[in-house]
Amino acid sequence: MSDTTLMALFEDIDPASEAIDKLHEMGVTDDRMNVISGVPVTHKMLGRPHPWTNVSRIALGGAVAGFFVGLFLNFGTPLLYNVSVGGQYITPIPPGLIIVFEMTMLFALLATFLGVFLDSFFPNYRPMEYVPEISDGKIGLFFKVPQDDQQKFADVMNEMGAESVQPTEARQL
Amino acid sequence: MAVTSGYLGSEKAHAEHHEEEHDPRESLMYDPLPRGVMNDMVMESMHTTSWKFWVVLGILAFLVATCFFYAWGYMIAKGLGVAGVMRPAYWGVFLVNTVFWIGISHAGTFISAILRVFKAEFRRPFTRAAELMTTFGLIQAGASIFMHLGRVWLAYWMFPIPNERQLWPNFHSPLMWDLLAITTYVLGSTMYLFLPLIPDLAMARDRSTGWRKTFYRILALGFRGTEGEWRHLTTAMNIFAFAIIPVMFSVHTIVSWDFAMAMRPGWSSTVFGPYFVLGALHSGMGAVAIVLVIMRATMKHMDYFIRKEHFDALGKLMMIVSFAYAYFFFNDYIVQWYGGDKWTDTLLHWLEEGPMAWMFYQMVAFNIVIPFLTLWNKRIRTTPWLLALIGLLINVGMYWERYIIVPVTLSINRMPFTWRLYEPRIEIFLTIGTFSMFLLFYMIASRLIPLIPVWEVQEGQMVHTLRKVGKAQVPTVSEFE
Repeated sequence: MSDTTLMALFEDIDPASEAIDKLHEMGVTDDRMNVISGVPVTHKMLGRPHPWTNVSRIALGGAVAGFFVGLFLNFGTPLLYNVSVGGQYITPIPPGLIIVFEMTMLFALLATFLGVFLDSFFPNYRPMEYVPEISDGKIGLFFKVPQDDQQKFADVMNEMGAESVQPTEARQL
Repeated sequence: MAVTSGYLGSEKAHAEHHEEEHDPRESLMYDPLPRGVMNDMVMESMHTTSWKFWVVLGILAFLVATCFFYAWGYMIAKGLGVAGVMRPAYWGVFLVNTVFWIGISHAGTFISAILRVFKAEFRRPFTRAAELMTTFGLIQAGASIFMHLGRVWLAYWMFPIPNERQLWPNFHSPLMWDLLAITTYVLGSTMYLFLPLIPDLAMARDRSTGWRKTFYRILALGFRGTEGEWRHLTTAMNIFAFAIIPVMFSVHTIVSWDFAMAMRPGWSSTVFGPYFVLGALHSGMGAVAIVLVIMRATMKHMDYFIRKEHFDALGKLMMIVSFAYAYFFFNDYIVQWYGGDKWTDTLLHWLEEGPMAWMFYQMVAFNIVIPFLTLWNKRIRTTPWLLALIGLLINVGMYWERYIIVPVTLSINRMPFTWRLYEPRIEIFLTIGTFSMFLLFYMIASRLIPLIPVWEVQEGQMVHTLRKVGKAQVPTVSEFE
């Protein structure tokens, strides 16, 4: 029996979170549903599991890499390409801290930015399940159900206050 | 008896007090509209252009073509001899412009990052306008440094690239620190501008057709607003908000070290770092006030998003920054004045009584006296054109401050036979060029990207409620995250 994806569109967070509870009761697991919204609605409000993100770890990785790049630039390269200026130290520590700091921050910020792309699979221009009403503030609850039960779930969602319930198809954004 | 006096004051005074009470519903956060309506308002503000817009755009484009590109090309062809920089003032208006534009750029980070970290709710509608100033200001700062280089095609010598000539950047030089700090800040602030823009680009994509649809579709990267996407985005924005603050402080501190590391009268000062940072915030806040007033006056529906409360909050910030600036200015001045160094004394007397004294006194008046005398008054703070005028005066004052620090201070040194007053030549055109380019970029951006972060405004409106306590409606804010 094949599955179909239904999209229930809600005006507000409260009916959407209650609808999620109802879906749980009806045996739809969290991995078979997704919530799409025009503002960042937290998982606690919806009663959903905490979404995983690697952005912080990637940022930390970037910071560590930047730290070592800074060390290399300031303490490594002057030894490779020696510039002797009036008896000054070749690798003094205080100016080195500035280079290390800037490189650490630069790589941390670049990695954070890259992390959003990696975790969100951006850019993604393939057709996807979406309706433009979501950016108008509506909350879209997408869930997979057996094709034969489609009408049963649609009726329940309508009872829970959904503005519309319909099968979704991937469309070009 | 018409008016009775009582323990809590007269009835008349009581009635007047009630009339003056602030209605919370006048605040953007307590006056919500449906998200779709706000989206339409922002889209309409981007699409509505009058003939005046195109005339101003044309004039600015002409000024950029002539005063920026032609004048710079002429200087490259003829050499730096066409500029006014010469002994003893080898650093002229190009570096004044660099410091000025980096200063302007600080407002974006301050408003967006610091106010975001501290959850200052009034920031919501104008974070993007301020962030754009950061990016466009830094472009002008970068261009001004390249102008100063003269032989701009050799700029790659600053990069650590192994080469046959064995030229290697000296990482002990404040100028190299500048390169790294400004590069970090340009990249960081541009990414920080882009991340919160993605949901608004997706909104614009959903409401556009033709080339605009393609434009927004590409830039929105396929964003839909799934739980995961929001989680990654908000996590990244939080990291950026915290991480870019020390970068912001480092940039202008390092710019100040370009001067402070030199043993010159007027420059060698341990307080230059925070003094420069405060100066940057001072000019940046003033510039934000100007931009907001122009946006509100020229763009459709902006009076809904940008209200008196925002000017009031911005005016208070400007006043506080002005106090802090005055403190550091006086600190820098008094220590040098008391120091007793012959050449520093000569420089300070020359500033106070010499041919550039008018600039020195205007600087003090515009940066300290006028903000002190005006911004304590709520009526002034909430009058947009007055706040913009004060912002303009602050920026004139801050430009004079940088002019005094760079070429005027260089004119007086320990070798009196070299004393000579700096006179800008082609620099004047190039300065007009950078200002025109900044405005041109801003005008183009106002028609291409949503200047109001609608999703952030809606998020704010969702967490603000009015709670009834006794007979009063008390504003209440809840934590969303």
